[in-house]
Amino acid sequence: MISKIILISLFTGIITHAQRGLRDIPDPDPVKQQKAFNLPDGMQAELFAADPMIAKPVQMNFDSKGRLWIVSSGMYPHIKPGAKENDRILILEDTNGDGKADKRTVFADNLHIPTAVLPVDGGAYVSNSTEILFLQDTTGNGKADKRKVVLSGFGTEDSHHLVHTFKQGPDGMIYFLQSIYIHTHLETPYGIRRLMGGGVWHLRPETQRVEILSKGLANPWGFVFDDYGQTFATDGAGGHGINYIFPRSVYSYSPGAKRKLLGLNPGQPKLCGLEILSGSHIPKNLRGVMVAPDFRGHRINLYKLKPNGSTYTSTRIADFLSSSHRAFRPIDIKMGPDGAVYIADWYNPIIQHGEVDFRDKRRDHTRGRIWRITFKNRPLIEKKNFSTASIEQIINNLTSKERIHRDLARTELRKRDKAKSIPLLEAWNINLNDDFSLLQAMWAFQAINITNNHAIKKLSLSKDPKYRAAALRVIYHRYDELPESQDIVRNAIDDPDPQVRLWAICCIAQKPSPFSVPIALRALEHPVDKPIDFALWSIVREHENQWVPQIESGKDLFSGKLSHLLFAMKSLAKPISLKSIFNGLKRGSLTGQKKTAAIAVITQVGNPDDLENLLPYITKNPSLIDLLITAKKIRKIQPTAGLEKILPLLQSEDPVTFNKAAHLAGLWKLESARTILVKTLTSSPHKRSAAAKALRLFGGDQAISLFHKILTTSNEEALRILATKELAILAPQKAANSAVNILKKDNGADQHNLISIFLKNPKASSALAQALKGQTLPPLIASLALQRAGTSGLPPKDLMAALKKAGNLKPMTQKLTPQQMEKMIARVKKEGDPHRGETIYRRSSMQCIACHAIGPVGSPIGPNLVSIGASAPIDYLITSMLNPNDKIKEGYHTTSVIEKNGDAHTGGLINEGREEVILRDFSGKQIRIARKDIKTVSISPVSMMPAGLTANLREDEFIDLIKFLSELGKEGEFKTEPQQLIRKWKILQPHNKELDESKHLGASIFAEPSDNFLWKPHFSRVNGELLPTELPKVKDRSLIKWNVARFGIDPAINGQITLKINETKHMELFDGQQPIELPETGPANIEITAGGSQDRFTIAVTSANRKTPVTIETQTK
Amino acid sequence: MLSKIIVLLTFLAVSPLGAVTFKDNDVTVLLGNTIIERAQKYGYIETALTLASDKKNLKFRNLGWSGDTVFGHARSYFGPPKEGFQRLQKDLTQIKPNIVIICYGAVAAFDGKNGLKNFINGYEKLINMISKSANPRQIILISPPPAQNLGNPLPDMTKHNKQLAIYSDAIKKLANKKNLIFGDLFNSIATNRKKLTNNGIHFTKSGYHTIATIFVKAIGLTPPATELLYSTNTIELRFKIIEKNKLFFHRWRPANETYLRLFRKHEQGNNAKELTMFDPLITNKEKEIETLKTSILNSK
Repeated sequence: MISKIILISLFTGIITHAQRGLRDIPDPDPVKQQKAFNLPDGMQAELFAADPMIAKPVQMNFDSKGRLWIVSSGMYPHIKPGAKENDRILILEDTNGDGKADKRTVFADNLHIPTAVLPVDGGAYVSNSTEILFLQDTTGNGKADKRKVVLSGFGTEDSHHLVHTFKQGPDGMIYFLQSIYIHTHLETPYGIRRLMGGGVWHLRPETQRVEILSKGLANPWGFVFDDYGQTFATDGAGGHGINYIFPRSVYSYSPGAKRKLLGLNPGQPKLCGLEILSGSHIPKNLRGVMVAPDFRGHRINLYKLKPNGSTYTSTRIADFLSSSHRAFRPIDIKMGPDGAVYIADWYNPIIQHGEVDFRDKRRDHTRGRIWRITFKNRPLIEKKNFSTASIEQIINNLTSKERIHRDLARTELRKRDKAKSIPLLEAWNINLNDDFSLLQAMWAFQAINITNNHAIKKLSLSKDPKYRAAALRVIYHRYDELPESQDIVRNAIDDPDPQVRLWAICCIAQKPSPFSVPIALRALEHPVDKPIDFALWSIVREHENQWVPQIESGKDLFSGKLSHLLFAMKSLAKPISLKSIFNGLKRGSLTGQKKTAAIAVITQVGNPDDLENLLPYITKNPSLIDLLITAKKIRKIQPTAGLEKILPLLQSEDPVTFNKAAHLAGLWKLESARTILVKTLTSSPHKRSAAAKALRLFGGDQAISLFHKILTTSNEEALRILATKELAILAPQKAANSAVNILKKDNGADQHNLISIFLKNPKASSALAQALKGQTLPPLIASLALQRAGTSGLPPKDLMAALKKAGNLKPMTQKLTPQQMEKMIARVKKEGDPHRGETIYRRSSMQCIACHAIGPVGSPIGPNLVSIGASAPIDYLITSMLNPNDKIKEGYHTTSVIEKNGDAHTGGLINEGREEVILRDFSGKQIRIARKDIKTVSISPVSMMPAGLTANLREDEFIDLIKFLSELGKEGEFKTEPQQLIRKWKILQPHNKELDESKHLGASIFAEPSDNFLWKPHFSRVNGELLPTELPKVKDRSLIKWNVARFGIDPAINGQITLKINETKHMELFDGQQPIELPETGPANIEITAGGSQDRFTIAVTSANRKTPVTIETQTK
Repeated sequence: MLSKIIVLLTFLAVSPLGAVTFKDNDVTVLLGNTIIERAQKYGYIETALTLASDKKNLKFRNLGWSGDTVFGHARSYFGPPKEGFQRLQKDLTQIKPNIVIICYGAVAAFDGKNGLKNFINGYEKLINMISKSANPRQIILISPPPAQNLGNPLPDMTKHNKQLAIYSDAIKKLANKKNLIFGDLFNSIATNRKKLTNNGIHFTKSGYHTIATIFVKAIGLTPPATELLYSTNTIELRFKIIEKNKLFFHRWRPANETYLRLFRKHEQGNNAKELTMFDPLITNKEKEIETLKTSILNSK
């Protein structure tokens, strides 16, 4: 028992009073930090600027003179009482061109935790907690003397979520981001705009229009435009890599969102900052690649995007660079005016301020570095000062092959006298014909607030869909400023390219009209992928007041297309023109999937009469009974009459049909079904649990006395257990004694799922506590019950006390004194073995893998641990393990739902809607709770991670486990590599398959489809290895023992790929049932076509002969 | 001495029923949306109010919040608006103001006629809540200022001003009904004044400078004489007021609220103890303000 051992060993140790952890601080010498970089061949990283010249850089941007502006916050994370607001804006210049900053100007020094700076329009936009300021130097002394509030009303609920990441778009607008805890209320001349949670804003400075572009993401700190004006974001607290941002998109973590999109790279480390590598100094193979810092893992990742439908596939390729220096915190990355890459290094051994105290002494408040990355033997590009350029020179640079020249020239153009620039721009524009130049001209005009009709019209007809989409993006912002907008958009809805269709929907969403939804839904006639489906769902709901009255007044708005009406109705979840749907069913014009979809929609939106009309269809197709179950459970409605029509289904010998029908009969309390249910309960073992559940749903004295009678009189143990469970829900005090007797015999895994029943309701948990008085329980089951109780919505104190007593359990949580903690940290560092730690982590009894993922594989219930070691200090890891409630990651708070009847549910909030709340419980199961049943929904202060998980570890095991966690994400063996390795497997369990069926010999038996095989999910180790010795041994027909696993190819991959196997010794491989020839030994490359199911390949090895781990990489061309 | 007499005289000249009347040690809360919130950063209105009375130890607490409404929309953090309303109630219970000056309506007016009834009902509930939780001696309702038409490419605010007129009128009626003082800001500012605002609806620094005296007049006070307002000491007084407002802001509306007092307080709630450390700093700053104010009022 860890707690005891720790206490003993720590108290007997020498207690020192040194400030623990301060020794953790790495050497701040920039030379040492520079040496700690791991750089690919040809790359060099040099110091551009460092403390004391700068401190704590948060964001940086270049101005059109080529100077680097830095926003610097030493006050972060929280102002000290009495401290002056003294955070700064610094301007750095390299005046002699040696690649190092030699001049620093303090532009402003009176700010409060500013998090963004954008030097444009003759001044700088600066975020300053609740507001966005525009600062100007009107006297020319380099110091801001004019301060204008541009916007105010940004929330400050969390300092690292404050409004941030300023970006000037190619359209001249200002984009900015905020994060999940921020609640913003902006008054604009167009009305109030509120954003509760994360999202992307844009501001058009000339019109002062401020709007939300996209919602969601936990802490998005990277935002870029690609060469065609498409936008992407990274998330510093979410693990989906690159996110494609289009108007009205809603991503994970958006509070209250009914529906959310996912990013392009699930399972990636959290990323801060985003840039696209561009320009002739960058080696060709890296140009156009997205570069995003993994600030926890002290490294910078690369992502290569390829168009895929309306969105993209994103593949992580080898690291841009990494560092073994623990204070290297790359948080912003920008292309520089000389073609080099600049990295803002926040420089801090400690990040975040939620988990680590605001005033933790290890926090650095004074240091910071800017690193400049160049490539050997490649010329830099010409660094230009556009502030002294003529307008002609600026226009010339708008089509430069160097993107940084184009961008800074455009930025400069905004400052110039329009009377002089417009005639020159117009003369240039009118002669342009190629797409690239037209695109630059379209943006240049937009950037000075003029709509370039000529360029928009031409680009909307481009052969290249990327340009057509770019034209639509301008129309999105300027619909009313171009006479042809409507025609272009209406054509684009039928465009052959999916992304152009997506943008057409976005544009239509800007112009609500009775026809907006019918026109947008024309996209349903083309292939529909997730973003398009989302955009259509969104416009149907947003424009409800436009199209619904038309339908209700009898107009055939969808030109007879029932599938469009169905989509609209389903999206809105309201009954619109159900009559026409019923007609479609009756006439038989809806068949197959459309018919099923129509029936589903009716059960989701129809009234009891509609349900009655559906009964004949559903009894003919029992797989649809679930729809009526949901209608009853969530919407609380049932058919007006004709309920008996389901009675024949209760005669079904198919257990699935019977189960569903019984469930429904129980929910409906269908009296005429009671007799057969009682009969089934006592006579049909394989159907009786469904019958019992149905009878319990009837409720009332009749059910109570039935179960009580079984419990007291039946000779059959299984039946008594069943009755105990049902009775525990109806009358817990009558079931509690029996439950205690069952638990006494439990194997420690709660094999009959009794515990959760008693934890659901305070009355039930009290009854169990009563029944436990004077009784003893095996420690294993008592400890499991205690863990579950501690993480339930309303932790029942009485039951927890009773369990401790009955199981004779030690305290579950353990607070270490600073001295004990210091000693423990030292032991983790000195003695911990991360390899042994990984094995402990993977033990099923530890429950780690049941809730957490590491990188792309694992469970989504708890936070992904991919870079936990690189971000969290060891003391944080220890505290999290010993007292989970002390440390709860944002986005992983447990939501507690209390029903009116007292039932309590806890879990991660998946969705909170008008009709229901959906939680994900500790087992990963989704729980749907009807709004009508709910009393309260609240954020629980309790972690879903149970206390006491480490109680059964030896102390050395605990130390190994912490060591393993502390290595995750750091440079070394426990960093998830960017290669696409097979990490998800299904493992064959020992089987009893008949051996005489066919003549096949050897491992081929394992490639055959068979119901007798049981496969269990399994994940590779962090380094991608599958250990043969970790797999169970299974026999083939000649009784040779094999270790067998199946895997498939990531569905996002398509085309020809290579499977790279590390070592083929004692290995057999099957594609389906087809054996693949492998060399006797050594590595192998197998060419295949991607696709197929997730158990397409079967691999068999003999661990008796082969201990070498298996790794398989999927390499795309 | 002279100023004292002037102030006294001007007080006598105003009908006591329609005017704010300060007493020694009064605490005044300024409540509303952006117009009130941003006023604390420039200090002009509060300086003018401070110098408009010779009463001792007047304290001002700016509880303005951008985007706020009579329902407390902007104050609610993670919860529904009613939690914002409750938060305001808690603030008022703690501050116990003697005078509450309220300016709402600029946000609601965008809803037009259809939103008026809801707004006035909400406003009445707000007033009742304030009376119940703080029982101030005086509550003053101020109509929202008109929007400025700054011309293309900024939007035409003519329609919005018509809606603001309707709301202002309704606020006046509400003040009469509840027997409260009404301050008419809407009709005291022209709609075509350049340089008052950047975007047509929010005052710039010079905008606040200009409207400070209008604001003071609108609530029945006599603004300090021009030579007083422009004196060096008054500029210093305004800076001290701004500093005091910053300290108070960090006290009542701190950053990192999620960790200090909300659902992650188990992690950083220990640092909430720093909030009360602002109180003596505010008190000291207010002593300096009082000393300077007395010296300014006695200077002539």
